[in-house]
Amino acid sequence: MAIKKKRAADSQELDLIPIMNMVTILIPFLLMASSFVNLAVIDSTLPAIGAPTEAQDEPDTPPLNLKVLVTSEGFTIATDVAVLPSAGSDGPTVPCRQSGCPGIESYDFEALTTLLSTIKDEYSHEENVILVPESHIRYDIIIMTMDATREDATQKEQYTDPNGVSSMRDKELFPYVVIAGGGQ
Amino acid sequence: MARKSTRRNGGNEGLNITSMMDIMTIILIFLLKSYSTEDISVTPSADLVVPISSAEKAPKLAVQVVVSKSQILVDGVAVMSLGTATDPVSGAEVPSIPADEKQGQMIQKLYEKLLTKAETAKTQAQRTQREDLEFKGEILLQCDSTLPFSLIREVMYTAGQAQFSNFRFVVIKGGG
Repeated sequence: MAIKKKRAADSQELDLIPIMNMVTILIPFLLMASSFVNLAVIDSTLPAIGAPTEAQDEPDTPPLNLKVLVTSEGFTIATDVAVLPSAGSDGPTVPCRQSGCPGIESYDFEALTTLLSTIKDEYSHEENVILVPESHIRYDIIIMTMDATREDATQKEQYTDPNGVSSMRDKELFPYVVIAGGGQ
Repeated sequence: MARKSTRRNGGNEGLNITSMMDIMTIILIFLLKSYSTEDISVTPSADLVVPISSAEKAPKLAVQVVVSKSQILVDGVAVMSLGTATDPVSGAEVPSIPADEKQGQMIQKLYEKLLTKAETAKTQAQRTQREDLEFKGEILLQCDSTLPFSLIREVMYTAGQAQFSNFRFVVIKGGG
């Protein structure tokens, strides 16, 4: 009896070993389930296949049908009626930094974004862009072009979300992207 | 002083695990924070490097098509393997669909597989009458970043023929 009392007085600290056991089991489990890669998606639709829908009333202003052609020379911006000429030569609208576009770094995405931002100012109701890449264009270049056409990170705009909370966000350019078959 | 130290050392105290508990608690909280319940997952490998993008939209569950450098998978099941072709511009070897696997732009094996998926999804939606299961033709595309557009166009065309016309390109968030 006397010994028992002495023991109880000595070990006043909490017995943490069961908690330790639990935590040790939880950590491997959470390590397995945790993801350190955050994924996102870019939506794109196919031009509808099948019977065309009924002709709608002619809108006051015809759609712009903005196209961005991705070639091995650079980007060419065009609409139904015109092709935007390059500043200097008669090549693509936004030529590559190096001729022949040897790698993804040589594409001038910043210049493309700036140019599209100017177009967006002019046609503020337009939200669609049609990407027309050449056959050999790499997938990551297409994705980066989509990024460049979607928003302009250098400019901010007021944005009100569906809950009525307004905040500042990157200026939206042409968020709805359609990929077209393109040239060979 | 002497008495105190002898008592400590001689006492039946065992390991002092308090500091270890601290570490464990911090790790536990960190892992709980990064715990993900995302619907989709990417298994990165040398064959499948998903490009990085500034897109923000969260992925939703849909039929998953993975196009890596060596094969095409639908919902984790290998459908066909890819061959190589010579790129006419750069002259490099790029993955491509073997000529006997496709008719025009249509990839036959992938088309059959996707058509089955579409039919299953439609039947499921019809039987359960649930709006959230309604077939919207959504498809998640995970493609390797080095693939040429010609290959992706063929996959997109085939998916379009199999009634999947809403593409979602899976990218890794970051950059931008």
